[in-house]
Amino acid sequence: MTLRTLVRYATLLLCGLLMAAPLFYLLSASLMSAQDARAFPPHLLPPNVVWHNYAEAYEFLSARAIVNSFVFSIGIVAAQLVISIPAGFALATIPFRWTGLLLGVILVPMFVPANMTLIPLYIITYQLGLVGTYAGMILPVAGQTAFAMLLFRQFFAGLPPGLIEAARLDGAGWPRVLTLIALPLARPALAAYCSISFLTAWNTYIWPQVVAPDREHQVMTVALAPLAQGQYTLMSPSVGLAAAVISMTPVLIIFLAFQKWYIKGVVGTGLE
Amino acid sequence: MVATVTSTADGRAVGTSPPAPGQDGNRRRRRRDAWAATAFVTPSMLAFGVFVIVPALAGLGLSFFSWDLFTPPEWVGLDNLARLLGDGRMWGSLWVTLLFVLLGVVPTIVVGFVLAVLLNTRLPGVEALRVLYLAPMVASSAVAAVLWAYLYDGRTGIANSILRWVGIDGPAWLSDTTWALPALSLMMIWLALPLVMLLYLAGLQRIPDDIYAAAALDGAGLWRRLWSITWPNVMQTTVLVTVLQVINFVSGSFETALIMTGGGPLDSTQTLALYAYRTAFEKGEMGYASALALFQLVLIGVAVGLVRLAAKLRSAT
Repeated sequence: MTLRTLVRYATLLLCGLLMAAPLFYLLSASLMSAQDARAFPPHLLPPNVVWHNYAEAYEFLSARAIVNSFVFSIGIVAAQLVISIPAGFALATIPFRWTGLLLGVILVPMFVPANMTLIPLYIITYQLGLVGTYAGMILPVAGQTAFAMLLFRQFFAGLPPGLIEAARLDGAGWPRVLTLIALPLARPALAAYCSISFLTAWNTYIWPQVVAPDREHQVMTVALAPLAQGQYTLMSPSVGLAAAVISMTPVLIIFLAFQKWYIKGVVGTGLE
Repeated sequence: MVATVTSTADGRAVGTSPPAPGQDGNRRRRRRDAWAATAFVTPSMLAFGVFVIVPALAGLGLSFFSWDLFTPPEWVGLDNLARLLGDGRMWGSLWVTLLFVLLGVVPTIVVGFVLAVLLNTRLPGVEALRVLYLAPMVASSAVAAVLWAYLYDGRTGIANSILRWVGIDGPAWLSDTTWALPALSLMMIWLALPLVMLLYLAGLQRIPDDIYAAAALDGAGLWRRLWSITWPNVMQTTVLVTVLQVINFVSGSFETALIMTGGGPLDSTQTLALYAYRTAFEKGEMGYASALALFQLVLIGVAVGLVRLAAKLRSAT
């Protein structure tokens, strides 16, 4: 190994550690006692590991918030899957004269920031009587189907055309072609979509905060956010950090497991 | 792109079916295709219409009304616009928004580009190291806010401990009118870097190797290659990244600020988007809030136009 590669490795490792450092420190400080977490000079590693922080953090978050986060995220992913897969498939494979127009319509609002439509979206949800309900939390987000439709369209368009045609000539209708031929092949697209969408939904803060901030519907991000302004000064900061770690764990697991697909999806869709 | 896909699909369907079903069969087939496509597309497009198109248009329309959600909306024409132009807090938040963009966008691009160049190597083991760089992606704005608020704590936070170590007495970051905004920007840069890096990596991998080989033969050094080959070759990515980051710092920043500082201290981190949010959800003035949000969209439109123009000018020279 030459000196040059050695330097390169060292730089790579150093920059990487620097990027991840805040998260390492989050993990470390979440295991400190209240005094150690507020000590000066600060400890990099917990002098005494306090596992009890996690029990307190779990109580602070409440099982309800954890369940709510899962209901919210899985609800969005499932609802979007059911409606976006057929749409993406149709836009990619079925000859249809409105395809071009529909694609144009989908693409236009991609660059309109989400908070632009926050107010009217809230008003619509309010008029539908869905404020303060799970449906109100899930449906308006699930309705933002542009990304999912484009991702699946792009994938289905890349399937060998002879495959679908052969099935059509055998007399299979479009629903059969989709469910028996195209869908079983779509595993990479499904993996990319599910990991990205789940992660995005899980980390969403503003919409559930606006529509259903009550204890009963509160998701973890909504429960967590007040801690940033130290509104629970009686609590040890470590407990708050432990709560942050708890809320991050599912997405961390998904991210590590689906990293490859996640990256492909993020880089490849709608952005180029 | 769109047109080619449709026409090939069409041509294939009509041209290559060997048994030649005749005109009648052809028409029937096309009608069946249209029915299937309609059935497949409708649920998704309906949801898209109700939750994307209608809100976008409604946002536009609402700007001309005064509405508190409870009494009937009242047409006020351009009053909201007039009020907006004379609103001191609006101008203050516009300034904060511009500062966010200035402090955030350029460092995100430069650092993201450099990190991508660093990572763009075939050395073994780089794949494993990449995970470290992508780590911030899993942090939600809420998690990041809780964590960074702890790091920024004026008395015991690690940020000030590091500063004290080199002999500087650090400020109380998030409750300091001067330092709250840079502190938030730094955190947002950290959050945004992984995506920017990934996009640049994808761009870098499209540059053919032989360009570099030729440059190396010509005796071009590391910096020269970076500046005259790598950078111009990822211009397209830079334009995309700039647009995405302008949107991120103009609009996404409000969530961070809302959670960490609530726009304070003394409005020093209140962006246009946050001002619109509070006008809507704390004061209940839906019409005026929509006008503010619309103004923000215009701002983004102008910025994106400028970025495009700059890219065009650069590629022209």
